[in-house]
Amino acid sequence: MKRTISTLAGAAVAALIAAQPVLAEETLAIGVSDALTGGAAVYGLPQANAVKLAASEINAAGGISVGGETYMLEVIAYDDKGNPTEATNAVRKLIDRDGVKYILGFCCSGATGAVASFIEYEDAVMLVGNAAERSITTREIPNLTRTRPPADYTGAAAGAFVAAKGHKRVAVLGALDVGFYASYVDAFEKELNKAGGEIVTREAFALKDRDMTPQLTKIRGLEADALLVVGYVEPAAFIYRQSVELGLDLPRYGFTSGSEEQFLRVATSEQMEGVWDLRPTELTLLSATENGIAYHENYAAAYGISPSPSSPYAYDQTYALKDALEAAGTVEDTAAVARALRELAVPDEVVMQYLPIDGKMFDRNGQAYTSNGAFQWRDGNWTFVQDLPSDPVAYSEFLSTLD
Amino acid sequence: MIEILQQIVNGIAIGGVYVLIALGLTTVFGILGIAHFAHGSVSMFGGYLTFFLVAGQGIPLVIAIPVALTAGVVLGMAIELLAYRPVRKASHINAFIVALGLTMMVEGLNLEFFGHEQVVIPTSFDRVFNIGGVTLPELRLYVILAAALLIAAMTIFVERTKTGQAIRAVAENRDAAILMGVNVRTIPLVVFAMSTALGVAAGIMVGALFAIAPGIGEGLVIKGFAVLILGGLGSIPGAIVGGIVLGITESLAAGFVSSAYKDVIAFLVMIFVLLFRPQGLLGKAS
Repeated sequence: MKRTISTLAGAAVAALIAAQPVLAEETLAIGVSDALTGGAAVYGLPQANAVKLAASEINAAGGISVGGETYMLEVIAYDDKGNPTEATNAVRKLIDRDGVKYILGFCCSGATGAVASFIEYEDAVMLVGNAAERSITTREIPNLTRTRPPADYTGAAAGAFVAAKGHKRVAVLGALDVGFYASYVDAFEKELNKAGGEIVTREAFALKDRDMTPQLTKIRGLEADALLVVGYVEPAAFIYRQSVELGLDLPRYGFTSGSEEQFLRVATSEQMEGVWDLRPTELTLLSATENGIAYHENYAAAYGISPSPSSPYAYDQTYALKDALEAAGTVEDTAAVARALRELAVPDEVVMQYLPIDGKMFDRNGQAYTSNGAFQWRDGNWTFVQDLPSDPVAYSEFLSTLD
Repeated sequence: MIEILQQIVNGIAIGGVYVLIALGLTTVFGILGIAHFAHGSVSMFGGYLTFFLVAGQGIPLVIAIPVALTAGVVLGMAIELLAYRPVRKASHINAFIVALGLTMMVEGLNLEFFGHEQVVIPTSFDRVFNIGGVTLPELRLYVILAAALLIAAMTIFVERTKTGQAIRAVAENRDAAILMGVNVRTIPLVVFAMSTALGVAAGIMVGALFAIAPGIGEGLVIKGFAVLILGGLGSIPGAIVGGIVLGITESLAAGFVSSAYKDVIAFLVMIFVLLFRPQGLLGKAS
């Protein structure tokens, strides 16, 4: 009798379990196209890592719930080397071969611009991270959004800041053949001129240049009262190091977004002391929010290295995509997801401090805005000193007037 | 005036690196007729190896450098034996293809073993000397001195030793050298060992002064060939003069004309020289 009861009870439990509605667990592949090797990998690799970190967090928290289905994210990352041709190939491979509809990453403007030129005609959504060239979000591409503000938005704020410091003769040394660096300097110069200052020389360097002593020697002879360095972290670090070696005693301002670790591979902390970085208010431990501190810890635990300041642009993309997919209620209809992105409030999990436009993370151009900040190297760390004067609403209006 | 002197000093340091690269290339080209494109990648291997020994294993720089140079000697001989010797009697195009393949292979190995990150060889040479308004960082001073020492050592080796005489004999006339009893099978080994060691030395200098990263070797080898053409193909004194001229020209061009076009200006100077001396500054007219 006992045996019969226990058998019946077992059967009943089994029946109950079988009768439970089981949520189907699907996999949603998302793509990353970024510079994983080469000169731009200092930005691209941390971005790819950031997407993977966000995806693993989302999966650990139960995935993305869309239309009654639960999706786990799978990240497929390709190396575009920051090169337009490679990026085009990488994205084509993601769309055509891997069947990916959501593509993230994009640290570099040249590569991003190449993909942006055709993405509108694809059944896909493109989420741009660190690439700062303004024209990426002036083309009214409905299925493209960008988390990083354009370079000239920051350049204008930087120019006003440097002018307020009383500098009248600023020498520029930068990667001026790169469009967004040149636009940063143009916007900087406008603000400097308004205050009666001028740029006394625009010296250039290429991505692979490491010997900047000829340019710095020239600047030393021009009696400039400040130096502005715009360019990738590695050449910029050499400029800071070599400026000290040449005895160039000038206040040094920059636009580089490099982490402490990245600079210290090239220059000593003493050589970096006092350098300013005038950039979007990106991740810096001393200025980070709770999310930022958690991101820093989780990233360091996962990859054994501190995240670069700009890497959260990609981390934030992933959470923006998650919220947009859930709001749209579909993973198939990319147009609906793209529309949901435009209507999205800033997700709770993001690391950067976004300034919403009409309560939304992205403006009608698909552009997000952060505040801009002045960071100074003090005793081995980038220290947040103050916000730079920035007006995202006015800039968003201006952006809408451009073709 | 101070600025001109400063630019010249800046140019001599980078010119010294160009000379070492070009010397390696010119000995291989002058004696074996091989355009050894992999020289830049091999040079980067030397820089990476030194970085690995110093930063990864905590070995002092003064020990790491001879270890890397020795590794360069062995690598050079291996390249000659395994890559170029099998095609020595074949058409020149075969050696050309081998050189290209070898470049990709060494680049790939560097990437595999040392990663894609830019690395800088750590040194403790951070003093800066000021001589009459011209500043000279300690590290640059040592690079200039080391380059001068290596150039002198190589010149003495080629000019004053029996092996050096044999190398020159093979370069002048291979058949006559055979008739005079020169062992022409070992000469290429010696040449590649010497050439690769010089390349490794240049890689260490680049790694300490600037940085080593994938792709840097390609730029170096292009500059090395430019120096070769400027100085005169196969000419050792030409490589020395050409390297220094290119370094100083780049520096002066960046300082007084335009930093954006410093490479263009340096190459324009090279073309200008070749218009009047097609054999290069110190090359022999054919």
